[in-house]
Amino acid sequence: MPDIEIRLTVNDRAWRATVAPRLTLADFLRERCGLTGTHLGCEHGVCGACTILVDGEAVRACLMFAVQADGTRITTVEGIAEPGGDLSPIQAAFRDHHGLQCGFCTPGLITSVTAFLRDNPDPTDDEIRTGLSGNLCRCTGYQGIIAAVRAAARTHPSGKR
Amino acid sequence: MKPAAFDYHAPGDADEAVALLAELGDEARPIAGGQSLMPMLALRLALPEHLVDLGRAEGLRGIEERGDSVWIGATTTQRTIERSAAVARAVPLLARATPLIGHFQIRNRGTLGGSLAHADAAAEYPAVAVALDARFETLSPRGARTVPATEFSTGVYSTDLEPDELLTGAVFPVWSGRCGFAIEEFTRRSGDFAVAGAAVAVELDAGSCVSRCGIGLFGLGSTPLRATAAEAAATGSPSGDVTPEDVGRTAMAELESVPADLHASAGYRRHIGAAVVARAWHRAVQEAAHA
Amino acid sequence: MDGLRTAAARYAGTRVARVEDPRLLTGHGTFVDDVVRPGMFHGCFVRSPLARARIAGIDLSGALAVEGVHAIFVADDLNPGVHEQWYTLIGRDVPDTPRPPLAEGEVRFVGDPVALVVAADRYVAEDAAELVAVDYEPLPPVVDYVTARESDELVHAAYPRNVAGDLGGAPLADLAPVFEEAAWVVHETVYQQAYAPVPMETRGIVAEWSAGELTIWAATQSPHEVRLFCARLLGLPEHRVRVVMRDTGGGFGQKVVPQREDMCVMLAAPKLPGALKWIEDRRENLQAAGMSRHEHGEARLAFDADGALLAAAIDHVQDVGAYPVPWPVGTAAAVGMLFPGPYRVPAGTFSTTSVFSNTVGRAAYRGPWQFESVARELLLDTAARRMGMDPVELRRRNLLRRDELPYVNPTGMPYSDVTPLETFEQALKMLDYDAFRDEQRAAREEGRHLGVGTCTYVEPTTAAMPLYGTEGATIRIEPSGTVNVYVSGGSSGNSIETTVVQLTADALGVDIADVSTIQGDTAITPFGGGSGGSRSGSMTAGAVAETASVLRERLVAIAAHRLEAAVEDIELGGGQARVRGVPSVGVAVSELAEIAYFHPEQLPPGVPPGLEASGRYRAESPIIWANATHVCTCEVDVVTGRVTLLRHIVSEDCGPMINPSVVEGQIAGGTVQGIGGVLYEHLAYDADGNPITSTFMDYLLPTASEVPDIEYGHIETLAPGPGGYKGVGEGGAIGTPPAVANAVADALAPFGVEITRLPLTPEAIVALVDGGARTAVPR
Repeated sequence: MPDIEIRLTVNDRAWRATVAPRLTLADFLRERCGLTGTHLGCEHGVCGACTILVDGEAVRACLMFAVQADGTRITTVEGIAEPGGDLSPIQAAFRDHHGLQCGFCTPGLITSVTAFLRDNPDPTDDEIRTGLSGNLCRCTGYQGIIAAVRAAARTHPSGKR
Repeated sequence: MKPAAFDYHAPGDADEAVALLAELGDEARPIAGGQSLMPMLALRLALPEHLVDLGRAEGLRGIEERGDSVWIGATTTQRTIERSAAVARAVPLLARATPLIGHFQIRNRGTLGGSLAHADAAAEYPAVAVALDARFETLSPRGARTVPATEFSTGVYSTDLEPDELLTGAVFPVWSGRCGFAIEEFTRRSGDFAVAGAAVAVELDAGSCVSRCGIGLFGLGSTPLRATAAEAAATGSPSGDVTPEDVGRTAMAELESVPADLHASAGYRRHIGAAVVARAWHRAVQEAAHA
Repeated sequence: MDGLRTAAARYAGTRVARVEDPRLLTGHGTFVDDVVRPGMFHGCFVRSPLARARIAGIDLSGALAVEGVHAIFVADDLNPGVHEQWYTLIGRDVPDTPRPPLAEGEVRFVGDPVALVVAADRYVAEDAAELVAVDYEPLPPVVDYVTARESDELVHAAYPRNVAGDLGGAPLADLAPVFEEAAWVVHETVYQQAYAPVPMETRGIVAEWSAGELTIWAATQSPHEVRLFCARLLGLPEHRVRVVMRDTGGGFGQKVVPQREDMCVMLAAPKLPGALKWIEDRRENLQAAGMSRHEHGEARLAFDADGALLAAAIDHVQDVGAYPVPWPVGTAAAVGMLFPGPYRVPAGTFSTTSVFSNTVGRAAYRGPWQFESVARELLLDTAARRMGMDPVELRRRNLLRRDELPYVNPTGMPYSDVTPLETFEQALKMLDYDAFRDEQRAAREEGRHLGVGTCTYVEPTTAAMPLYGTEGATIRIEPSGTVNVYVSGGSSGNSIETTVVQLTADALGVDIADVSTIQGDTAITPFGGGSGGSRSGSMTAGAVAETASVLRERLVAIAAHRLEAAVEDIELGGGQARVRGVPSVGVAVSELAEIAYFHPEQLPPGVPPGLEASGRYRAESPIIWANATHVCTCEVDVVTGRVTLLRHIVSEDCGPMINPSVVEGQIAGGTVQGIGGVLYEHLAYDADGNPITSTFMDYLLPTASEVPDIEYGHIETLAPGPGGYKGVGEGGAIGTPPAVANAVADALAPFGVEITRLPLTPEAIVALVDGGARTAVPR
């Protein structure tokens, strides 16, 4: 089972690593890159806590092997904030609307909503709920999360039309 | 919940991939988007010694309109299909089925070929393919061949593919004329696999008689099914004389063995199956009538 | 409170942004799986694939040969290391049920831990776990708790009839005349399926032994309980154990005490040259972390001809699985004692029996006694329909009025400071009940089936059990004037960091930005019970008030001395001490701190140097009662059985709200867990005792698409204790299942449907509609 060398960019930082083929991308990010914001809630692709952006698209980091990410650009929750470190408008909306409690599902929601609002800047309530349905949360009852997405959409740069 | 060890191969094209599959034998599995296979690997329900990653193979990706049909490469993501204006125009049933697959994060990685070759009897794409009379293109060291969608699935999670054979793409015929399409499914939650579902394509002639129809069923057997008796009963009849509930009942009457699990007994699945067929039939005919 | 002038509260009662959020939103929280120690090992448990079997032998040779495996422990290696094993929460002297770290001789459920593999990483540990060859001799399992008392097989040989324990009030026969003579009696057996807390973060622990001291990082609701438990378990002095938690990804009861796997890691750590980490995976969580809610009750309500309640009785039986955590018998009594609920019930009694089965053990879950509301509220709706009365009218006639309080219910529960009728009326007003009935009538004419259901309950919060009866706080005003407040706490989703910061800023009259809190580390925080039993807010408020009063007194004394004013004339606020009526004369807290630390010679006589104090609050009453009404409306598709929730209204009385966002978040979270429980979630087993819902594909948690907007109403009465605060963590999960079930029953009333069995799956609803009757027999 030979290890394989990969090169990829994570949050604008270039990585070169040798990995076992079976190492999931989620474990690579957590254990090799030290980016523990990507959380493992189920490891079988349902809960959404490990969602990251691969070449801009939201995907489950538990449903990819690190070798499959060779050559990609990855953004994790650690890479979402503004360059100066301020919260992104979506992160700020989650804070303003009590969109998180324990915070375990939060990273996957932040990354998912970042992609969702980019593609769908002016969503209906139904679209918001469907867009969120791939991320499980047990604390908030989704109320604050839905409110945060509504609010973030209102202030989204491409949503004001 | 970590996968067992395996060797990783990333062939550059389909020929190389099938050569690898032939060489590695039964212990090799192809992987495309991995959205179905990865959970099985994590749960150690699948223990391949070799994974042949099709993600970097040339020639397996893309959407091409070819006259009266549309070719879609096997490793084309569901998200690409969802966003494709060509698919929306030429194969509306496929376009409408796509948002029902999992969640958008899954569709960003999940592929057409993965969904078809994984052959989950409760999945949307295989049922759409049988309803539309799609043809699947395969490649093995013995060459390429074409398999009708209706003959592709052979049982629970099993297909007509040989161990060294790859699904390379699918060809969806374009239904032109006065056509209508609808997909209806019943799921426990948003994004779940269907308890039961139906994909319906209907073509009406100038006199509003049903000239052609396809009813694909999912979640209602060990494979995706074509409700042939219901189709036959409807074909040739004035669309107004065909009551959707009858189509649903007839479709269920021809089922031999319906799956049962915690979420639905066989009897309840039939009950839901009749309802989703009726609802999909109704919507498809409405659309055709107004086309 | 202490006679000193208190600045007006600036922060309590407001929607202060949470102090937990910046780190959690940017991926910088520290959950237990984020903890990495030098040379750390990873653990994986070998678990039983059978519901019940004798362990004839274990062959470790294949597994030990795997490269990267350091050790494999079986029961003989770890179990003899147990010195004492009991939970502070429950006490040493209860007749606790068995709880071996690893299975000894016999496995008793699928998922029972048999061996612990210790390896270089989790991948290798799982490889080796698959190679541990356990020779199982299958035994007939006791899968169904309902029939377990009649089984020839015993889950634990020492417990005849598989009964873990029973409790009860007066004999039901004493009430026979009431039931015989009542104008109306409803008598139904209500059954609730097993479901579970399922926090998004699974369980996990890291334990590191170093020179006679053990450091533990844990996902826990109570770091101090973990420490006490571990010290007893290993026979170590308590101060040789340190427990650290920063962020816990939800607990809901599952993480209130350490479980068997945690015991194994604690016992194994001293045998290892590096730290040992065990992070439960989701399949383990759904197979082995605990089941809740699985129970039924034969319930009876008696009414006079006008619908006034005469008596309430319940014979309750609960599944406790093979290894319940903690002792389940005492909690079950609450089901019986609260069964009369917030109603005027002259007579009542109960019995409760806890029954073992070869399934995963019962564990605590948000409102562990909630079956009292499920059984009572379902029966009230059934009764109203049989009497031809509107269920709302029936409740109105029986709900306790304020002028009847305090009120001792027939099982001895002394309710006070509650407002059941007020929350009921407020929630119905928010709905516009009459308008909904009109809408329902109109919809029925179109063949659409809408329904409305309610649930009103009283809830014990902040129970002053031994572990929970006191709470401490240490506050240190730093030399710069900024403030650190130390409480046991620990962030597990309940916003306790924000709560403490709000309360401390108010208590000291300083800016909230100048207050930080340190929690979750037993080495530096005061002893405290942690999060559980809806106690954190009210008890921590007491602890902060107790401690802050000492510092306020000191600040005022220094200020008075410095400003040459009378102590009585000094008031604190805005980070300043000022002379009342002379706003221009003041001194900053930072300056007072500088005096306190660096210029003790400037202190007034008798005032000690420094600005650090510790205090401990003692609960003023054995229970703080909270209450609420849930009102839910839904539409039922009678063809498919799908339930679509339309509105969900919660009117509650948790006393004054420290932070309305936090209160609403707790209510919403509990409500959606209740929605999951009544409609979606089922921790199910097949007839052989195999769990069939051990992935998130099968165990259906509600998503954002399945829940309606939740609306909140507040009624405010003061509880005994500082601030008058009550608990609010659990109620949402109590009131929701009955309200939703009653809404479905109401929608289906034209079909003659009565509901006695949960969950309300689409298939169950179709069967109800087809059958036009209930399915009453529990299984």
